[in-house]
Amino acid sequence: MANEILIIDKDIRHAKALGIYLKRKKMRVYTAKNSDDILKLFDRINIKIVLADPSCFSKDFIGILKKIKKTYSEVQIVIMATPEQFDYAMAYLKDEAVHYLLKPVKSAALDMALKQAKTWIAVNSKLLRYEKKMQVLKQAQNLFQQLFDEVPCYISVQDKNFCLTATNKMFKRDFGDEIGSHCYEVYKHRVLPCEKCPVADTFKDALSHSTEEVVTSKSGKQHNVITWTAPVKDSHGRITQVMEMSTNISQIRQLQDHLTSLGLMIGSMSHGIKGMLTALDGGIYQLETGLAKGDKKRTDHAFDQIKQIAGRIRKMVLEILYYAKSRELVYQTVEIKKMAQKAAEDAMAMAIKKGIRFKLKIAPSLGTIQVDPNWIHATLVNFLENAIDACIYDLNKKNQFVKFDIFEKSPDRICFVIQDNGMGMDQETKEKMFTLFFTSKGSQGTGLGLFIANRVICQHGGTIEVESEPGKGSCFNISLPRKKPEQFCIVDPHHEEIT
Amino acid sequence: MKKILIVDDDPNIVDYLTTLFEDNGFLTFAARNVKEAMELARKEIPDLITLDLEMPEEWGPRFYRKISQEKNLKNIPIIVISGFPGCTHAIGKAVACLQKPFDRDELLKIVKDNLK
Repeated sequence: MANEILIIDKDIRHAKALGIYLKRKKMRVYTAKNSDDILKLFDRINIKIVLADPSCFSKDFIGILKKIKKTYSEVQIVIMATPEQFDYAMAYLKDEAVHYLLKPVKSAALDMALKQAKTWIAVNSKLLRYEKKMQVLKQAQNLFQQLFDEVPCYISVQDKNFCLTATNKMFKRDFGDEIGSHCYEVYKHRVLPCEKCPVADTFKDALSHSTEEVVTSKSGKQHNVITWTAPVKDSHGRITQVMEMSTNISQIRQLQDHLTSLGLMIGSMSHGIKGMLTALDGGIYQLETGLAKGDKKRTDHAFDQIKQIAGRIRKMVLEILYYAKSRELVYQTVEIKKMAQKAAEDAMAMAIKKGIRFKLKIAPSLGTIQVDPNWIHATLVNFLENAIDACIYDLNKKNQFVKFDIFEKSPDRICFVIQDNGMGMDQETKEKMFTLFFTSKGSQGTGLGLFIANRVICQHGGTIEVESEPGKGSCFNISLPRKKPEQFCIVDPHHEEIT
Repeated sequence: MKKILIVDDDPNIVDYLTTLFEDNGFLTFAARNVKEAMELARKEIPDLITLDLEMPEEWGPRFYRKISQEKNLKNIPIIVISGFPGCTHAIGKAVACLQKPFDRDELLKIVKDNLK
């Protein structure tokens, strides 16, 4: 209760009379002798009302009153002044005083002034409480807006017509700021509502529903999402809107696909691995018996064989490793001539050993190209080795050759042409050769080589054209852009092969 | 000297089996596909055949069907040596089915038992 009152009056008798009167009114009365007293009093006691004669103490007394009002805004000031000072006080204090009384103060007028001051104090404290509550409310609102925006899901609020009334930041990022559009237009580019809709179900039964959907973002990318809905009710408990929360699970789905195909790969390759282990047994047997018999020819042959098998195992393991973890390309600017020479050198050894002619032709001043040199090297070697294999498998010809031509097709594209006169491919092999786990080499192939090669070329924004005829040979024309493409054409190979 | 025909598309395995059998006093011939195997079988009439199942072009079971239809060849004992488990289903009349990588002594024992 606003009962603390400070009386400031130079007329001591008047002040005393007022004090007695106010004490009778159950008020706690304080008096001050000078301006220092006033300020000290305010420090100690929670004064609510000041009853003051502005002609007190010094000329600056009105300044002190103003200061008090400024510091303790809830304090109400009632001025009592003689008729001569009345106008002066009013002109200076204006509305900083709640009431002005004429001296000598009459009890009825004083009662009214105090009543008014107390009303003001009550109103002020109420306002203060409301202000505090509003602040808390505003903070809470900010927090909820922030939560709504920052949740790592797509959140939308929809009305009964599936129109979006609110969306969060992630939704806006991937699907645009589409308030007012229909959910099915934005998420699925449909013209009619979806047949099975969790939002519609929630409008019907006020329960939460869940579905798994494939949605398409504004950039055309597809996402697998798990969707949960929740009703939004008004103060009467009626469902006016439904909130839909979609979690992107594309990565999990991709991982699942990847694991499935990894399992498939291990299954289909175990045969090849067993073959290699048997061959390795053979090499070891020949080495053992060769050493035991002191047969140098056999020992040398065994060494050669083991080396060759180790190479095969190495290649297979690398292919598995590549497939098990798809990597980002690491682009570098490399000299085309050097890159082609290196690939040719790696493949040439095998060709020479098998008596196959290897013709390398690099056009002059080809300049540089932006590629991931490790993968392009592996890919080129893979195509060259395939060409050599095609010659080895061809038992009907004598004059066998592999040609490797590198030239500029246009200023921004480089061609790598690998041609052989080996066994060639029939239509079926031609169609399936880039398919995962397809091999025409029986137990010697993993079915990964060309699959990976194709993927690497694709990732680089390149193309592969193939011409082949059974018994006559094959020609692979690989074209790569000279510069790193802006957008990758990444066809998801897992998806294609598994489904 | 007993004659063994080795049918396998992997030259390293052919090499292994050839050495192993020759070390144990057998005469060997090797074929790396069904076509070659048929020609050699008809020409040499081997006493025993080791057969791989998965090969480029035609697979092992087709070779088996082909020799089963030839009077001179249909009784030759066949040992299947392949990476597939459960190859008894592929070639019912095989005298043995070994999975790669096989046990050398086991193979030699089966060969000797069948060539007595």
